[in-house]
Amino acid sequence: MVELQDTHKKFQKELSSGTVSLALLSILAQSQEPLYGYQIGKLVGAGDDDGVMVKQGAIYPVLRSLESQGLLSSEREMSDSGPPRKYYQATETGQEALKDWTAIWIETKNFVDNVLGGDYQ
Amino acid sequence: MKTADELIKTYLSDLKNALKGADRATVQDALADAEEHLRTALESESAEVEAESEAIQTIIKEYGEVEEIAQAYKNWEVTLPPALAATPAARRVASASHGKTYPGFFGVFADPRAWGGLVYMLISIITGTLYFSWAVTGLSTSIGVMILIIGIPITIVFLLSFRGIAFLEGRLVEALLGERMPRRASFTDSSLPWKERLKILLTGKATWLSIIYMILMLPLGVIYFSVMVTLIAVSISFIATPVGAIVMMAKDIPFEIFRSGDIVWTVSDPAGLTLTLLIAGLGFLIGTCTMHIARWVGKVHGKFAKALLVSD
Repeated sequence: MVELQDTHKKFQKELSSGTVSLALLSILAQSQEPLYGYQIGKLVGAGDDDGVMVKQGAIYPVLRSLESQGLLSSEREMSDSGPPRKYYQATETGQEALKDWTAIWIETKNFVDNVLGGDYQ
Repeated sequence: MKTADELIKTYLSDLKNALKGADRATVQDALADAEEHLRTALESESAEVEAESEAIQTIIKEYGEVEEIAQAYKNWEVTLPPALAATPAARRVASASHGKTYPGFFGVFADPRAWGGLVYMLISIITGTLYFSWAVTGLSTSIGVMILIIGIPITIVFLLSFRGIAFLEGRLVEALLGERMPRRASFTDSSLPWKERLKILLTGKATWLSIIYMILMLPLGVIYFSVMVTLIAVSISFIATPVGAIVMMAKDIPFEIFRSGDIVWTVSDPAGLTLTLLIAGLGFLIGTCTMHIARWVGKVHGKFAKALLVSD
């Protein structure tokens, strides 16, 4: 049973590495205003514990990675209470990339659905 | 029952342990991200102090287990090489993606780190002078006005500026020398009273190491700049010898490349021509060595900057 748990985790991790980038980019591209890490984490992590694809702490390296690719821009702002916050926003390039990524996602999703449904002959 | 603050500190030290072996700059980034998130979450989730230690447990659980988060940062480090690829893992990624490296003695001209080192050494006379002046001004002003009430905010401003400059210098070092440095400034807890924060600033190793670095940058900058300018000037003038000879010949000015007693060689003699070409070749050799020196100094300086500017 333990081994099954491990493969389950490993599969989920492999699967999430690309989809989390897509989800974060999409959240920030749709948002009317810049969001900071904690807000994004709340949006991603909504739902009960089992349904969570990514831990809130794991989104920060992804955000940094997207920023270094020029898909996101960020700005540091002081808050009235608590530490200063880093606000993220999708760039023009990010908006463009999201269109391509969405197309890739739909293609992938259809492919997997077909295989799982047995239509892929 | 531990307080929320203690729980956050425990989590951070666990995370630091889990990140053992990762680049120090990555560790600093990961800890800063975590602390910012946990404190922001705590601020927004619980209004009462009594409920804090309950709330923080849920927040930490949602943030993720230490091992998992540490792994996420390690993965990020591999996929995101610093600009000029300094860590071994990143170098593997970089060389795999470019398909070839430039080996050999003269390949140094194609190495971005050699050019980065060269630029860094040339501008270090400016940055070094600025850092030194600012550090010395800051220290002496702060000590001078320490006995007055007004001295405290002045001291705080200078100490904060040293941290800021250390961060900026880190960015410069990563961009030009390829040594991975922190991508964000280290976290300061703004909820602490100013007396506590001043204490952290004053007693923190990071502040004093930054000041030492800033002071040392003046002599280093002067040495780097003088050595580089000398080598470049010698190299270029040697390489330009044949050109000079041709121009002089065209103007009918005798250009003696060698004179000893009765022996005089001009460029029109075979011996003189050979000597001229040899000097040009030597110039090129010196230029290549200069690039190797720049790359080597850049690498060593990167390590030096990391030792002083990145806190454990």
